Amino acid sequence: MLSGGIAVPSRVSSHRREIVGPLACPDMTAQRSPLHDRHDALGAKWADFGGWRMPVEYPGTGGGVLAEHLAVRQAVGIFDVSHLGKATVSGPGAAAFLNSCLSNDLDRIGPGQAQYTLCCDDASGGVVDDLIAYLRGPDEVFLVPNAANTAEVVRRLAAAAPANIAVTQQHADFVILAVQGPRSAQVLAAVGLPADHAYMSFTETAWQSSGGGSTSVIVCRTGYTGEHGYELIAPSAMGPALWDAVLDVGAEQGLRPAGLGARDTLRTEMGYPLHGQDLSLDITPNQARLGWAVGWDKPAFWGRTALRAEKQAGVGRLLWGLRSSGRGIIRPHLPVFDEAGMVVGETTSGTFSPSLRVGIGLALLNRGTAITSGSELQVDVRGRLLAVAVTKPPFVDSHVR
Amino acid sequence: MAVPDDRKYSEQHEWVLVTGDEDPAVARVGITDFAQGALGDIVFVQLPAEGDEVSAGEPLGEVESTKSVSDIYAPCNGTVRAHNADLDETPELVNSDPYGDGWLVEIIVSGDVADQLGELLDADGYQDLLDRS
Repeated sequence: MLSGGIAVPSRVSSHRREIVGPLACPDMTAQRSPLHDRHDALGAKWADFGGWRMPVEYPGTGGGVLAEHLAVRQAVGIFDVSHLGKATVSGPGAAAFLNSCLSNDLDRIGPGQAQYTLCCDDASGGVVDDLIAYLRGPDEVFLVPNAANTAEVVRRLAAAAPANIAVTQQHADFVILAVQGPRSAQVLAAVGLPADHAYMSFTETAWQSSGGGSTSVIVCRTGYTGEHGYELIAPSAMGPALWDAVLDVGAEQGLRPAGLGARDTLRTEMGYPLHGQDLSLDITPNQARLGWAVGWDKPAFWGRTALRAEKQAGVGRLLWGLRSSGRGIIRPHLPVFDEAGMVVGETTSGTFSPSLRVGIGLALLNRGTAITSGSELQVDVRGRLLAVAVTKPPFVDSHVR
Repeated sequence: MAVPDDRKYSEQHEWVLVTGDEDPAVARVGITDFAQGALGDIVFVQLPAEGDEVSAGEPLGEVESTKSVSDIYAPCNGTVRAHNADLDETPELVNSDPYGDGWLVEIIVSGDVADQLGELLDADGYQDLLDRS
């Protein structure tokens, strides 16, 4: 003892072995969520995500990753994901311009709908970021990229945009609260927000806090947990009032505040990729099985030539799910071996599945190695070989609709 | 949770309890309440097998939470007499009862116990360490 992970105080860090990226050392320059004091009052443990200091879990509430994960699967949880980026692309033909840059086809959706899409590198087809595009109209699209990649996405779009289209970075202007779980609709109704709209659609509504404040809130039927859920986007100044209101009415529904630790175990169970692990500039949408988020027939999008060529030639590696056959836990960046002892790939994500109570992970595995669903492989977990079975995610059933 | 005064502590937030009057002495080892709280939900514990030799200061196993892996260090030289098999199915015992049912291993201490465990802190010393940090 005591190495510990992302949430361990620095005073016991001498033997720490990081599993999840550069999260250990508190960065005093990190940005704080407008809800920072609320999390502090709930006894949150903290970590840095893309330059933002955010809650990992809430042991002070009797929570913790496992309890928070199960609350989202069985009842409802609220996450502060205000570290996610926000940007607006506006001006005449803003949507058409974006459609010539980002991978997915915005023409597949109409105003009031949101879409998962990718910003690829034009030369390599590697993924600069994965993001959600909220189509407000032909002349305005709101974007939610990942925290760490927001500046780069905005830079690339701004550099490509014609003079009459503005790309506006709004990272600190809004909070984003994700209310996720089978009882999320009841919580939204109780707090006075619309909850009946279809999956991946959004509506903008006026909301009044009990303190008398009024604001406009975007309510979107999105999330990254695999459960029925909503993401609420509100001006930062109103964030604390909205958070308080949801926690207040949520108590009856078994709502728990949930940290980014549970968000990671939830998304891993769904096989949803995390940029920086399962997606990167070195990993293409073809390799990550995200071809469904590419508008292949569009005349233009960044990476089109490279990605079509890769698709035609046959992709060299593919993202698979791995499920531990024993008790060990899969972690990112571990080599994967076949029966013959040959390296056939590398894990990109790995954790303990609170729903299945086994280790699960994602791995990029080489093609042409006869690997398919059910194949038995081994992962080298710090010198011990862990037997794993290849599977196609999700690891648990999706309930997003 | 108060620091139990029936045992010794390492600066790595492990506790060591010499059980009974056996000869050679047997030391039971676990992690402290502070340690389990800092790690969060324990989901897997990798422990040595009965008969394995361990050396003071060397890693003898690992404790894993959803996000982290932490080494467990041997507090003394010796031979593993037992590991806590209950942790195979319920590793969360380390969280719920770190000083009791969440123990990790028992080590048959090689050599003189006083020598081997003399460097460890008593409960007051460990509480001071927590207060200072």
